[in-house]
Amino acid sequence: MSQRHADHAHDHTEVPSEPALRVKALESLLVDKGLVDPAALDVLVDIYEHKVGPRHGAQVVARAWVDPAYKQRLLADGTAAIAGLGFSGGQGEKLTVVENTPAVHNVIVCTLCSCYPWPVLGLPPTWYKSSAYRSRTVMDPRGVLRELGLDLPDNVEVRVWDSNAASRYLVLPERPSGTESLSEADLVRLVTRDAMIGVAKVPAPREGGGA
Amino acid sequence: MNGIHDMGGMQGLGTIGYHASEPIFHEPWEGRVFALIRAMPVGSLRPYIERIPAAEYLRTSYYERWYTAFLTRLLEEGVVTRAEVERGRADPAAAKATPAITPAVARELLFRTPREEQDIALTPRFHVGERVHGRNIHPTTHTRMPRYTRGRTGVVERIRGVFNLPDREHGVGETTPQHVYLIRFPARELWGDDAPAHDALYIDMWEDYLERA
Repeated sequence: MSQRHADHAHDHTEVPSEPALRVKALESLLVDKGLVDPAALDVLVDIYEHKVGPRHGAQVVARAWVDPAYKQRLLADGTAAIAGLGFSGGQGEKLTVVENTPAVHNVIVCTLCSCYPWPVLGLPPTWYKSSAYRSRTVMDPRGVLRELGLDLPDNVEVRVWDSNAASRYLVLPERPSGTESLSEADLVRLVTRDAMIGVAKVPAPREGGGA
Repeated sequence: MNGIHDMGGMQGLGTIGYHASEPIFHEPWEGRVFALIRAMPVGSLRPYIERIPAAEYLRTSYYERWYTAFLTRLLEEGVVTRAEVERGRADPAAAKATPAITPAVARELLFRTPREEQDIALTPRFHVGERVHGRNIHPTTHTRMPRYTRGRTGVVERIRGVFNLPDREHGVGETTPQHVYLIRFPARELWGDDAPAHDALYIDMWEDYLERA
């Protein structure tokens, strides 16, 4: 065995992984050729690490819960209604919002790639990009949801949305009971990324909490 | 093409590996690859990702595939040479470019929504409510028609608008704008009688993927 023992995996002396070296070399080359500005790369990394994410989607959902006219506009033209809250950008040309009800449950996937609604959810988590999620969700959505902790009754219609073209989807989850007195800001905090992908429901606020 | 990337309905591809929370980029190089591609719009990389041999595709991570596709496209289009990549330095004889994406432009990218929809008036071949059949085609290059929809019957749910056929976007042929339709396929039509009776799959289909049922 080499000197890099498993229990030293977090050693600071560990050599950089091969992709790290190759990417660094390619970045150096493209900078050297004048094709990219490293300061612009810093901005892009910062935007996708810190500026976009599921908090945007949560604001869309909470607004739809408290404002029936907004919800109607959102379901009719997701892109326009979401832009109205200030969210736009890459992977957001055709945003379609699909509503969960007691009778219908929606779940999103991209079988061919890993397409995802960046303006409202940010970049996708690794599991969404996994071969297993991509391959199984279209064929056995109920099995996938059960595995992720959501067991749906037989009488609920499950709709799977495969994001193969320009359309990107956002699930509008059901508003949990016991949230009638919550403010819009409180509701935003309740909404989870997973509920907007459709692999979970929005949990009811904990007893005594939420306000 | 009927590549490994066309995964819908396959089995035995491992576990989902769900985590409730994880970093956006697991290592800094992932963020750099992502940013490099955003900062150098070289066109769609998907056809290049789909050309990665299946075994390598399955072995590599999402951002490793993007790196491979990006580098392949840069090399094929002559933006960089193999010798430059190996040295990590520009050929001193090559002219120096000016970066297209400055930090200020990068900040705007957060809000700038690309537009693929075409403002072309075309009469849709199919109407909402019509039953349509996924054609039994097997293109050897990029397509957005997953195998599991071929030969299956669904119903037009919505007309999406006019978009260029992606099957052509990477080829040498002319662009082919046409209507895209949201199609509802009953789960049983796709997966047989063991599928729940009321479940369904929704997917966008270009006109060329469909015929009247």
